[in-house]
Amino acid sequence: MRLREFISDRLNRLLIQVICVAVAAFFLRATGTQPGVLAVLLLALLLVFCGVQLSDFFRQRARLRELEAVLDGLDQKYLFAECAPAPKNLYERRLFELTRRAGRAMTGAVSDARAAQREYRDYVEGWVHEIKTPITAARLICRELDSGVRRRLTGELARIEEHVERALFYARAESPERDCVIRQTQLSQLVAQAVGEHRALLIQSGVRVETDGLDRSVYTDGKWAAFILGQLLQNAARYRGPEPVVTISARPLGRQVQLTVADNGLGIPAQELPRVFDRGFTGSNGRARGGSTGIGLYLCKKLAVFLELGLEISSEEGAGTVVTLTFPAREAL
Amino acid sequence: MPKIIIVEDDPAIREELALLLENEGYETAAVTGFDHVPDQVRAAAPDLILLDLGLPGRDGMSLCADIRKNSRTPIIFVTSRDSASDELRALSLGGDDYITKPYNIPVLLARIRAVLRRAGGPAEPDTLEAGGLTLHLTRGTVSAGGRSAELTRNELKILAHLMARAGQIVSRADLIDALWDSQIYIDDNTLSVNMTRLRARLEEIGLPGFIKTRRGMGYQL
Repeated sequence: MRLREFISDRLNRLLIQVICVAVAAFFLRATGTQPGVLAVLLLALLLVFCGVQLSDFFRQRARLRELEAVLDGLDQKYLFAECAPAPKNLYERRLFELTRRAGRAMTGAVSDARAAQREYRDYVEGWVHEIKTPITAARLICRELDSGVRRRLTGELARIEEHVERALFYARAESPERDCVIRQTQLSQLVAQAVGEHRALLIQSGVRVETDGLDRSVYTDGKWAAFILGQLLQNAARYRGPEPVVTISARPLGRQVQLTVADNGLGIPAQELPRVFDRGFTGSNGRARGGSTGIGLYLCKKLAVFLELGLEISSEEGAGTVVTLTFPAREAL
Repeated sequence: MPKIIIVEDDPAIREELALLLENEGYETAAVTGFDHVPDQVRAAAPDLILLDLGLPGRDGMSLCADIRKNSRTPIIFVTSRDSASDELRALSLGGDDYITKPYNIPVLLARIRAVLRRAGGPAEPDTLEAGGLTLHLTRGTVSAGGRSAELTRNELKILAHLMARAGQIVSRADLIDALWDSQIYIDDNTLSVNMTRLRARLEEIGLPGFIKTRRGMGYQL
C-alpha cells in the first residue's frame, strides 16, 4: 500500500474534514477571533490531523505486510484465515470471521474433491486388479489353441494389458508417493522385466533387442522404471522402420548411470519433438498410424520427474529415436 | 513327481493352471472351498503352494503366515496386486517368490522349477542327448563321436530347445519365443544366421544334416 493509494482511498473523509475546519474558521473569524490566534489554531489542527492520518497509514501498512508474510509462508493458501494473527479490532474480527467461513467452505470442498479422487484411484486400481484375473485365464486358455490363432490372440491380449497397465499407472501417478519404493535394482533385471512384458508386441513386430553394459545397478523403483522403459519399447515397436532394432545400453556418467534406448524407426519430426511429453499429444506418425493415445510419454515424464530421473529424447526423422534415462546417484536420494 | 497345490478363487484360472501343470508333469491339487485352508493344505502335503492374495473371506497374507507356523513348504504368491509394499510384505511373511498376474506361462514354469530346486528338488540335468549328440549345458559344448565344438550362447539355447523336443517339429516362431525366455531377443533374420552357424558347427563334428528343415513348418531333429 502506498501513501497515494491511502489518501485517494480516504479522499471523501479528508475533504469533509477540510470543509468542517474551513466552516469553523469562517465562523470563528466572523465572531471576532483574531487572525493570529486563528492561524495558530489551524496550524495545530493541521498537525494533529496529518499526524493521525500518517500513523493510520503506517499501522495499516505494517498490518498488511504482516498478513501478506503469513500468506506467503503458507503452503495451502486457503488455510490463511486459520493461521492469520489475532484480529486487532472489531472490523478486522468480523472480516476474519467471514474469511474463515469462506476458507472452511473451501477446505471442505477441497477435501471432498481429494476424497473423491482417492476413491476413484482406488476404484481404478481395484478394477485393474480384477481385470487381470480374466486376462490371466484367457492367456492360459490360449495355450490350448493352435499356434497361429494363439499368437494372434496373445497379441490382442497383450494390447489389452498395455492399456490396462497405462490406466493403472495413470491412476498411481496422481499420488505417486503411495507406492514408490526406492531400492537397489539391477538394470539387466529391469530391462528383462520391461522386454518380457512387451515381448508379444516386440516379437510380432519383428524387433530385435540388443543390450549392452546392463551389469550395473541403480537406485530406483523397479516397477515404475520398468513401466517407463516399457512405454519406450512400445513406441519403438509401433513406429518401427524396416528391420527394426532396439538397442538398450547403459554407461556410467560420474555417479549417475545413463540408460539409452535407441531405435532405428521412423523418428519424430523436429517441430514435434518439444511437445512429445505433452498430455494427449499425438504426432504426425501417431495420427498416420492410428491408435496413439498421447498418454504414454506424458506418463513417462510425470513418473520420471517424481523418481528424479532425467528423461531426454532426441530424434532424426527417418533415422530413429534415442531416449536417455539418467538414474540419479544414490546420495541424491 | 512334485505335487503342487493351487489356492486360487477364480475357477477358470484354477482349472487351466492345473491342466498346464499336469501337462508339465506335476501332480496337482486345488483348494475349492476357502474355509480352513491351512488344514486343507496340510492334508494335501504338497511340495509347493501357489497362493493367491485376494481370496474370499481371508487374505492370502494371513494364510501364508498361518501355513508358515508349522510348515516349510515353499510358497509362491500369484496375484494381481502388484504394489511394491504387497510384494515386500508377502516375502517377509515367508513367501518364496512373488509373481504378478497376468504372468507369462514360461516365466511361471521357470520360477516354479527354480523354487522347487532351491527347496531341494532334483537338479536340472546338465547334459542333453539326442541322436548320438551330447550337449553340455554348463560348459557350452557339443560332442559327438569323440569330436567336440564350442557353441555361442544363442546356438546353445537353440540346440537345447530342439534337443529337448527331439523328433518334434519346432516352428521358427516357437523357437524365437523360447529364445526370448532366455533373454535372447532376436528376430527372424538373426535366427536364420544363428541356425546357419549352428549347422556349420555340427558339420565340423561330423553331423551334417542333424537339424532338418521342414519347409513351412519349422525344424526337426
